[in-house]
Amino acid sequence: MDTATTPTDAELEVERRRGRRLRKSRNYLTFVLFVGPNVALIMMFIYYPLIMNLRFSLLDWRLGSSTARFVGLQNYIEFFTSPNGLEVWRVTIIFTVATVAGAMLLGLLMAVVLNKRLPGRVVARTALFSPYVLSGVGVGMVWSFIFDPRLGVMRFFFEAIGRRSPEWFNDPRWALVMVIIVYIWKNLGYAAVIFIAGLQSIPSDLLEAANVDGASRTRQFFTIVMPLLSPTVFFLSITMILNSMQAFDILRIMTPSGNGTNTIIFEIYLQSFGAYQRAGYAGAVSVVLFLTLFAITAFQLRYVQKKVHYQ
Amino acid sequence: MTIIKTVGLVGVAALALGACGGPTVEGGGGTPTTPAAGGDATTPGGETTEAGFDWSSVEPATEIAFWTNHPGGSMDIEKELVEKFTAETGITVDHVTAGANYAEVSQRFQTAQVSGDQGDVVVLSDANWFSAYLAGSIAPVDEILAAADVDASNYVDALYEDYLYEGEHWAVPYARSTPLFYYNKEHYADAGLPDRAPESWAEMEEFAAQLTEAGHTTAFAYPPEAEYPAWTMANLVWGFGGQWSDEWDFSAAHSAETIEALEFAQRSLEEGWAAVASTAPQTDFAAGANSSVIASTGALNSTIEAAGFEIGVGFLPVGPSGDEKVVPTGGAGLAVASKSTPEQQLAAAMFVSYITNAENTAAFSGATGYLPVTKGADMSAKYAEQPLFEVAVDQLERARVQDFGRVLLPGGDIALARGLSEVLVQKTDPAATMQKVADEMQSLYDRDLKAVLG
Repeated sequence: MDTATTPTDAELEVERRRGRRLRKSRNYLTFVLFVGPNVALIMMFIYYPLIMNLRFSLLDWRLGSSTARFVGLQNYIEFFTSPNGLEVWRVTIIFTVATVAGAMLLGLLMAVVLNKRLPGRVVARTALFSPYVLSGVGVGMVWSFIFDPRLGVMRFFFEAIGRRSPEWFNDPRWALVMVIIVYIWKNLGYAAVIFIAGLQSIPSDLLEAANVDGASRTRQFFTIVMPLLSPTVFFLSITMILNSMQAFDILRIMTPSGNGTNTIIFEIYLQSFGAYQRAGYAGAVSVVLFLTLFAITAFQLRYVQKKVHYQ
Repeated sequence: MTIIKTVGLVGVAALALGACGGPTVEGGGGTPTTPAAGGDATTPGGETTEAGFDWSSVEPATEIAFWTNHPGGSMDIEKELVEKFTAETGITVDHVTAGANYAEVSQRFQTAQVSGDQGDVVVLSDANWFSAYLAGSIAPVDEILAAADVDASNYVDALYEDYLYEGEHWAVPYARSTPLFYYNKEHYADAGLPDRAPESWAEMEEFAAQLTEAGHTTAFAYPPEAEYPAWTMANLVWGFGGQWSDEWDFSAAHSAETIEALEFAQRSLEEGWAAVASTAPQTDFAAGANSSVIASTGALNSTIEAAGFEIGVGFLPVGPSGDEKVVPTGGAGLAVASKSTPEQQLAAAMFVSYITNAENTAAFSGATGYLPVTKGADMSAKYAEQPLFEVAVDQLERARVQDFGRVLLPGGDIALARGLSEVLVQKTDPAATMQKVADEMQSLYDRDLKAVLG
């Protein structure tokens, strides 16, 4: 006679639940094992410095000093009200707007040209993109020679039109123009390549239909190409604004003292590691930069993305 | 676990982490303190001991670290001296490349204070050591040198006095330099000028007229803003009886004498016989872009190598004041970290005194072109090899410690450089510009130093 008892439905349910819990626990353990090291690293290298920096921003602290004084929001107030802080904002806005707009407009122009079936276009595309992958330090050093008002190549261009070369390095107004030119040159290829990819994703039948309907090239560009390029414009505007606001290498190499080219990121460097060594104040400027970039990105994602025309 | 809980957990953990590390925070409204300002040696952990620490019971450490940027391409000679020191004393020296230039070494040294692994001997420039002093990162060397039986009076007085503040020395001279007058012998010969530097700024003006007539239109070049113009132009300002500051009194920056000197410089640019270099002045000079320039003695070897013509050097010109002490000192010294243990500090003092003794100073100066910092250093071999170097050394008798406003005030050099750039490049009114610079230096002092220095 079979003495084994058949499990009741209730017992089966308990067993099923236990199995589910075990699987869930195993899954969670696997999740922790995979994610844990990443979370630990992110905490160590992102959140910890972020929180520490937030704390330092409330201190009057000289870099390296073992003591500091709590000053509340004084560093923030100074940055937003002092003439130097306002100058940093002015330079940052001019530099960012000029470099992003310049690189995107010229990049689009280049992309339109290089999207045509022209001989040597592969070489031209490569040549256009190559500055983007070059070291900013090297680019800065080479362009420093080119812009030298007495010894550089640029001098000959000005002499050819009967003008003296501007004091690119010594006059802060020209120094800003100089680094904007170099930064656009370096990033032009990036914008052009992304625009070329965007142009190539536009369905050719739309343009052919417009052609049949008698739409001019200009009309086709502004009513078909540009709206369909809006995701590319959106992507580029986000990435290039973030990059421009964090540009440092070319500025530091070409204008070491930052006179006229003192953007927010340069100000952080000069205040913390330069002659001033004001780690607390630099911490406050860093927080402002972080919040500014966060706000710009959030605004673009929240509002600008709605205007983007996806196919 | 929900996303909110996870984010909350991460946030709490981050906050907990954030509470750890960093400086000790004092309450609001208090006066920030500077450990070094008391002028005492420090014990391990940074606790300050009373002045007059009993060094007799301290034995030197068997291992120390030397943080340097190998100024003037001195890596090989430094390595040689380090090895000789270890062979003689048994003390191992970790020869650390702590940066590519003085600023980088200073940044790294200050940043490393948090970790406590900051080296024991560090190269700090004339414009950096006071920031380390303010942060309490370096120790006064007088007692430590005495404990190591070092006679500090052997150092060249003008160079050692650069590190004197509040009655104590905070470093010893090492890779020291002064500005020197360089001229293009070919240009001067073309213009029928004597084979020597002008003795005064008035004579420089006369030389310039002849150089211009001979077709060498840029007789002289001032340094650009990024090349420390307040250092070399101190010569011009002192020559006219002016100053960048009189200790912590910044009104000297817009005194009548200082303004007169800058008006002279502005006039030289307007008349066209002088220009502002766009890079290091000696680079333009070596390329033949100008006929004469004032640049560091440390650039002597590289300028001779770079120039395709024969170079002459001379003392810096004097001005209408007639004062011959118009040669600003510069370069870098060796400081001892305050966080090092007394044992490490004693070994550091032994090392510092060893590489700056008369014999090793001669070797270091010979290899780099920096000025000998110790009296009695036999430089005859270097003079035989490079006779121009002797002029640089002889000029030391005219050396003068720099004004506080440039070398001790954090940001003072930048304020001066920007003001000078405005006067020279943008042609602004010298009186109004220097009044603005003086005001800026005063506000920097009030903000960063007044409470600390008292």
